[in-house]
Amino acid sequence: MRNKTLGFEIIRGAASILLALAVAMVFIFIISDEPFTALYNLIVAPLTNMRYIWMILERMIPIIFTGLGVCVMFSANQFNLAGEGTLYIGAFVSALCAIYFDLPPVLHVIVCILAAVVVGGLSMLIPAILKTKLGASEMVSSLMLNYILLQLGLYFLNYHFSDRTQGATMTFQFKPTAQIPKFLPNLIGRTNLSWGIVIALAATVVIALFMYRTKWGYAIRMIGVNESFAKYSGIKVGAMVVLCQVLGGVLSGMGGAVEMLGYFERFKWRQLPGYGWNGVTIAILAKNNPAFVPLAAFFMAYLERGCNLMQINSDVPAEMLSIIQAVIFLFFAAEQFLAKYRHKLVVKGAKEELAERTSGHGKKGAET
Amino acid sequence: MVVQMKGITKVYPNGIAANQNVDFSVRKGEIHALMGENGAGKSTLMKMLFGLEQPEEGEIIVGGETVALSSPTVAISKGVGMVHQHFMLVPSLTVAENIVLGMEPKKRGMFLDYGKAVAITEEYSQKYNLHVDPHAKVMDIPVGMKQKVEILKALVRGATILILDEPTAVLTTQETTELFKELIHFKETGHTIIFISHKLKEVKQITDRLTIMRGGKSVGVYNTADVSEQDISRLMVGRDVVLKVEKEKPVPTDVVLKVEDLSFTNDWSRKMLDGVSFTVRKGEILGVAGVEGNGQRELVELLFDMAKPDGGTIQVEGQPITGAGQSKIRGLGVSHIPEDRMLFGVAGTATIEENLISDRYWKPKFNKGPLFDMKAIHQDTQQLIGDYQILCKSGGQSVANLSGGNIQKVVVAREFSSDPKLIIADQPTRGIDVGATEFIRRKLVELSRAGTAVLLVSADLNEIIELSDSLIVFYGGEIVAYFEDTSTLTDEEMGEYMLGLKRQSDEEIRRVFHA
Amino acid sequence: MLDLLSRIVSTVFSVPFAFSILRITTPILFAALAAVVADRAGVTNIGLEGIMMISALTGVIFSAWTQSAWFGLLMAILLGVLVALMIGFFALQLKTDIILAGIAVNMLGGGGTIFFMYLASGDRGYSANLASKVMPTVHIPLLRDIPVLGEILSGHNLLTYLAFLCVLLVWILLYKTPLGLQLRAVGENSHAADSVGVSVNRVKYLALAVSGVLAGMGGAFMSMGYMSSFNTNMTAGRGFIALAAEAMGQGEPVGTMLTSLLFGFADALAANMQSLGLPAELVKMTPYVFTIAGLAIYAATKLGTHRRKKRKGQTTGGAAPEAS
Repeated sequence: MRNKTLGFEIIRGAASILLALAVAMVFIFIISDEPFTALYNLIVAPLTNMRYIWMILERMIPIIFTGLGVCVMFSANQFNLAGEGTLYIGAFVSALCAIYFDLPPVLHVIVCILAAVVVGGLSMLIPAILKTKLGASEMVSSLMLNYILLQLGLYFLNYHFSDRTQGATMTFQFKPTAQIPKFLPNLIGRTNLSWGIVIALAATVVIALFMYRTKWGYAIRMIGVNESFAKYSGIKVGAMVVLCQVLGGVLSGMGGAVEMLGYFERFKWRQLPGYGWNGVTIAILAKNNPAFVPLAAFFMAYLERGCNLMQINSDVPAEMLSIIQAVIFLFFAAEQFLAKYRHKLVVKGAKEELAERTSGHGKKGAET
Repeated sequence: MVVQMKGITKVYPNGIAANQNVDFSVRKGEIHALMGENGAGKSTLMKMLFGLEQPEEGEIIVGGETVALSSPTVAISKGVGMVHQHFMLVPSLTVAENIVLGMEPKKRGMFLDYGKAVAITEEYSQKYNLHVDPHAKVMDIPVGMKQKVEILKALVRGATILILDEPTAVLTTQETTELFKELIHFKETGHTIIFISHKLKEVKQITDRLTIMRGGKSVGVYNTADVSEQDISRLMVGRDVVLKVEKEKPVPTDVVLKVEDLSFTNDWSRKMLDGVSFTVRKGEILGVAGVEGNGQRELVELLFDMAKPDGGTIQVEGQPITGAGQSKIRGLGVSHIPEDRMLFGVAGTATIEENLISDRYWKPKFNKGPLFDMKAIHQDTQQLIGDYQILCKSGGQSVANLSGGNIQKVVVAREFSSDPKLIIADQPTRGIDVGATEFIRRKLVELSRAGTAVLLVSADLNEIIELSDSLIVFYGGEIVAYFEDTSTLTDEEMGEYMLGLKRQSDEEIRRVFHA
Repeated sequence: MLDLLSRIVSTVFSVPFAFSILRITTPILFAALAAVVADRAGVTNIGLEGIMMISALTGVIFSAWTQSAWFGLLMAILLGVLVALMIGFFALQLKTDIILAGIAVNMLGGGGTIFFMYLASGDRGYSANLASKVMPTVHIPLLRDIPVLGEILSGHNLLTYLAFLCVLLVWILLYKTPLGLQLRAVGENSHAADSVGVSVNRVKYLALAVSGVLAGMGGAFMSMGYMSSFNTNMTAGRGFIALAAEAMGQGEPVGTMLTSLLFGFADALAANMQSLGLPAELVKMTPYVFTIAGLAIYAATKLGTHRRKKRKGQTTGGAAPEAS
């Protein structure tokens, strides 16, 4: 049964993606004078150049982290959407540590990331505790938290930490010791891809193990499947609900730090970068399974690259991305999408089982 | 005959035949009781008459015309109305609003004519002598009035045949008296009433005829005047098949569970438990019998800290457990087979393995450093699947895909294998196949003989008499009888206590409390 | 410090400040009323932010094309309804979690609007190239001549008046029409509604459509009243604040109006604090802090009843259907 449903999920996912691409195609044919160039750039071009591949990998870094964070929180049915804000504040705090601390190379990076992790995790305590102690919707409070963290970051950026010698508002330069080095420049040439991708993949492994191979991950998942069952089994639901949201903050805070230290030399984000929302899409595509997050992130980054290339080389704007993304998202999350097909599978399975059972059952009925 | 149901068979998707070839008919203008134990199939039969379920076989004739009752709307149009045990009311709306919902009177084309709604309510309220306050919000009115609102809802929609599903279960004595007056009044105005009940006195008092159901079949139709309460009791609680369970004589030793003077009032201010005291000892199975709704469910909830008692104490091996939380209670060696297995017993879409470890996943045995010891977990799972004969392809299969009996075996495997000192088994074999039932009963006996204390709550008389070493009977939130030895107990005797015809003396009952 | 305080006080009690509260409250109020209608029918519409963005852009594009602000408004409303119905289709027909469907709509509102704006104007940042129209401002005769009060209440954008009128209209819809009765019944106990033949899905679709109309007007106000053009991310979380306003207003139109005004007040205060020399960022933060604080207080006060309900849920949950 499990294999059948897994097979079904794959078919459904592929159908969602095809549908979204079909929608994209319709738009492209309506608006573009050169639809085939646009389509080529959207779908094929990202694979035609190694440089593009490195760029895709580079764009995967922050969204792997936010995607993992959302996976953990959604696994326990916590609709916390503050990945956006915690990533932002994590990036900001790590930037400050990168500027003002004096530490030896590797250690400096670690300290910067740790600072981001702590701030990200602490921020998430707000929606988590309001939820467990007062029953306030974590969704609304986490959405508000995004804006609070943004404004808080901007305040410190503008008033206390900005480099006045620069034309735009930005911090001073990070110390070289705090920067995450580029990934094997001798081997792959000069790219913007940093070792952050390795950290992101390592985080994936850790979180996948955490969710499927530790008692905490198990407890979090069981709460998501059936909270009454979890409580009845003796799982401490409140503590786990807090834990999973804090972990969500830890991961997105870490994502902010890794992105900041690996890609930038100064902090200059003046608005929320959108990686938190991407994380939600990725978690939906990965069906909340951390192991699939890199795949989903690759897909998203690939689409992004395709859209950018489409914009550069044709007359279709790159923001087509959000339309494709929304359509895929909607169909992936639609339980009843292609449900008739799944129903057939289930009925078939049930009939087989029933046939086995009724033959046994009939005999017992005859005895009594 | 205003209603005739002929040869009705209803099989639920899980394979349980709730009704088998049932004939049921009601004369115009009578009050007809439909009686039977829980699970006898009365509710299913009535759901079909109200269009909530459709029969696989059989014919339903209402007012001389064969009808296909595909939804409540169709049933209502044929003059059938039902007052559910759990009211179908919208709490924040007023009485009048609830009554006209779905058939709202309008004024000036688009506005709700609330005045008219109130007028309709008052008109029917006076006509049928059902006093309600049209302007009061439903959430603020007492249960008795809520029931009147439900009845009015049916009458306003033109119901001439009224199905009342255990209407007195939620009422006080005065409210019941009042309801009966109203029912007599309906009868006089030509309405037909189908009255589902367990309560013998009420049925004798108010009904003209009665149909008794047992095990999904009708066992007979009688004129109420022709049968005694004892006859009814015997017909209702008789056992069809006696499944014998081999068991040695119990040797009860130390007290494991001690419940003293426990009382509980539910959210509707109804006293559900009143001064309940008993003990369960090592090596014995204590059965809790009673018609559903007499406090057994509340007792189990309190024992597992799913609700807070008004007063009294619960101790497991001397440790108080009220308010302790499920993890601490489990830590003391208490296992629990919950009545609602899909809500509490399993996580449906999780795997069998994940379901089997939910109470022990944190133990050192299953953890190596921060990680799970998957080998130990797999081994444990394989062991349990084997020991408890769970029919599945592997431990990685999701529980929701198993049959009811196998799902229950998963629950039982987990709860029985934690080396429990006390097992609270609530309806452990309800709705599952014969094989799984036998298996679970045998295991329960095995464990008790090995020294576990077992508290067995079951609405299945056969089960409770066969399995229990001694037995208490609940009626109206109190223990009304204690039988130290069940082997000589007859169904008739049980029935009389369960249905409130008899009650032992306080001294006799007190014997179940081994201080 | 004392000086600053007195300047704040004199600002708050000034006529322009009071005027600005009403102006700033308008989009929040529209969206919050949209949340009221949806929520009362038991459908959580968290796509309000996205709907407002889409409608804001639609209004600009169509008013620029037709040179009619009214046509722009009409199209903004229409798009709002369509998007809301799309949420309904996915949530009710395809069983997408309604929160996720709302998130998808917000994605569309974020990037999708830039996409279409670029197509329409060749611009990404804001719609400077589009000669769009704004809704007229209204000077109310007689009222305008009353000192202070007239200055505060007269001279607003038509949509501001419409927003406050909608409080009354939503109230009438909920409490004085058959649909409103069915809507409240469906939201509170859909089984009860279903058992008397009320089509639950029909009512939910209608509620979403109405919520689309309201959010559409809120979006139109953003680009055709509050400002005179569309720019990216111009709603800046108002759709989310509206959800909080609705929650704190307990789903009542009038209560929600009051909480919306509270947020309007905080926002207006923020705007004015900047001119008083306080850090703009900290000031901009206040409405959001307010929201969390408000939610927490609201949740805390509701906790007693909530707990009771929760336990009730458990016992009825335990009350499994009879196995018969």
